[in-house]
Amino acid sequence: MSPARDLMVVLALLGASAGVPFLGGDYWIGVGITAFMWVALTQSWSLLSGLSGYVSLGHVVFYGLGAYVVVASWEVLPIAVSLALAAGAAAVFAFATGMPVLRVRGPYFVILTFGVAELVKFVVMAAEAAAGNASRLILGTPEIETLFFLMLALAAAATVLAWGVRVSRLGHGLRAIREDEEAAETLGVPVARYKLLAFVLSACIPGAVGGAMALRNTYFEPLQAFDPMISFSMIAMAVIGGSDDLRGPVVGAACFVFLSEMLWANAPQLYMIILGLLLVIFVLFVPEGLCGRLFRSRGA
Amino acid sequence: MIETLASGQLLFAALALGATYALVALGLNLVYGTMRLLNVAHGDLVMLGGYLTYWAFALGGISPLVSLLGTAVAAALLGALAYRLLFRAMLGARRTGPRVEANSLLLFFGLSIIAQNLAALVFSPTPRGYEYLSDVLHFGNVALTGNRLAALLVAAALCLAVVLFLRWHTMGLAMRALIEHREAAAVVGVDIDRVQIASFAVGFGTAAVAGALVSMTEQVSPFMGFPFTVAAFVVIVMGGLGRLEGGIAAAFALGLIETYGVALTSTNWRSILLYGTFVALLLARPQGLFGRRAVMR
Repeated sequence: MSPARDLMVVLALLGASAGVPFLGGDYWIGVGITAFMWVALTQSWSLLSGLSGYVSLGHVVFYGLGAYVVVASWEVLPIAVSLALAAGAAAVFAFATGMPVLRVRGPYFVILTFGVAELVKFVVMAAEAAAGNASRLILGTPEIETLFFLMLALAAAATVLAWGVRVSRLGHGLRAIREDEEAAETLGVPVARYKLLAFVLSACIPGAVGGAMALRNTYFEPLQAFDPMISFSMIAMAVIGGSDDLRGPVVGAACFVFLSEMLWANAPQLYMIILGLLLVIFVLFVPEGLCGRLFRSRGA
Repeated sequence: MIETLASGQLLFAALALGATYALVALGLNLVYGTMRLLNVAHGDLVMLGGYLTYWAFALGGISPLVSLLGTAVAAALLGALAYRLLFRAMLGARRTGPRVEANSLLLFFGLSIIAQNLAALVFSPTPRGYEYLSDVLHFGNVALTGNRLAALLVAAALCLAVVLFLRWHTMGLAMRALIEHREAAAVVGVDIDRVQIASFAVGFGTAAVAGALVSMTEQVSPFMGFPFTVAAFVVIVMGGLGRLEGGIAAAFALGLIETYGVALTSTNWRSILLYGTFVALLLARPQGLFGRRAVMR
């Protein structure tokens, strides 16, 4: 296992895909945006949940908040500023909720994160309804090529961040927490601080991704931006690709992007059923994920 | 406003909702209590029970109060099957580590996604409802429809039956033994495997009956389940693990909070109230259901 080599492989892949806009049409650019979005989201999710074992079922809350910030500040602030604000809002939210939420462990943490995400969704919906905008139109969104390179940059940033965490003290501390939290604390791992830091780091990029994705559509609806299926997809991709491996999110995202391109538009339910089935099969038979199964068995 | 709040109408609505929550939570409590498996797909069984009842009524003209027997049996068999095929091996390998809890949760979550989307694919996402016992009855100044009253009575009777089963039946006692202390139960000769399969069957069956009752008064739709899971979870955290009587009291408390909360605000707030209670409760008791145990030690 060489994290540095994994990083090079993933970045090389991402770099190679930068050629897509020059070769393919709008369709392939769209596929690229979706793929990079999932890589960025899943990589961020793995940073927290893959390493620490605190499985978040509510990561969509950061995505949705980011989208909301960008939409709310649209035509007021320049895009770059509002995207930074989106990432910042997600990080602040993670910091504020992280302290109480991360005290909850195991299965309770899992469903608590889901509950928090749903609660925020309904609060945003109620706020939007009270303000009289059930859905908003967004005019003058950027070119699809701009979004492509923006999302590519976010995927690369998420990968570098995930790599940085993995090779740092923080990463080792998180793995220790995953294996045995009490033992880690006894040995001097600053458990509470590490968990909170990982939570905040894993929230920033989903915030920016949500903000960028909001600009891909011309309208914004809280129900879509906070769709729990986004959280579910992150988990399924990470579990299938391998959640403690830098390449896992890329493999997982790649598996699903083509599946979703084929099915999402015409048969979204069938797509979700296949996603659910694959999750069940992988949890039961391949809990280490594709990367764990394929690469690690050889002298790791 | 005060008049609305003081009316028997609202109290009845709260009771009916509480009885449904109590029934849904009973099953979740059993499965969680005996195996420490958190079934996030529990609410989807409510949805399946609702659809079975709807189709029996729409296609066969069968009264929901009759078809719920078949619904209960079908769901119980599904529970036994799920246990045999998916969870037995995983529980047997419990020693492999604390991942079992998180993994079983992901497994249930996968099943939940499959159930919801399968229902949406086969039955279409359109909500469906039917008219049954919808005549309005008057008791003093309280007006209510027959189906609500029937649902309340059946739910209350079934809750009572399960409580009696756990108190007097050998299998019920074995379930409580497993909830209290798994290893000790095994030592005194409780057949763990049989108790676990029975817990799955009873848990799934009661949830489906709750769904049948819900379908009598509300429309069924593929994604109606999760709020029931959340409500059931709130109930067992408030009432206590394996304490079914406490759970019933908690269910009525939640029914009151939700009904009066909505009456005081608006229907838009229903979900906020439910999820808000849920989040607040878990934050207040981060140790979750193990709290009581830790204190006792």
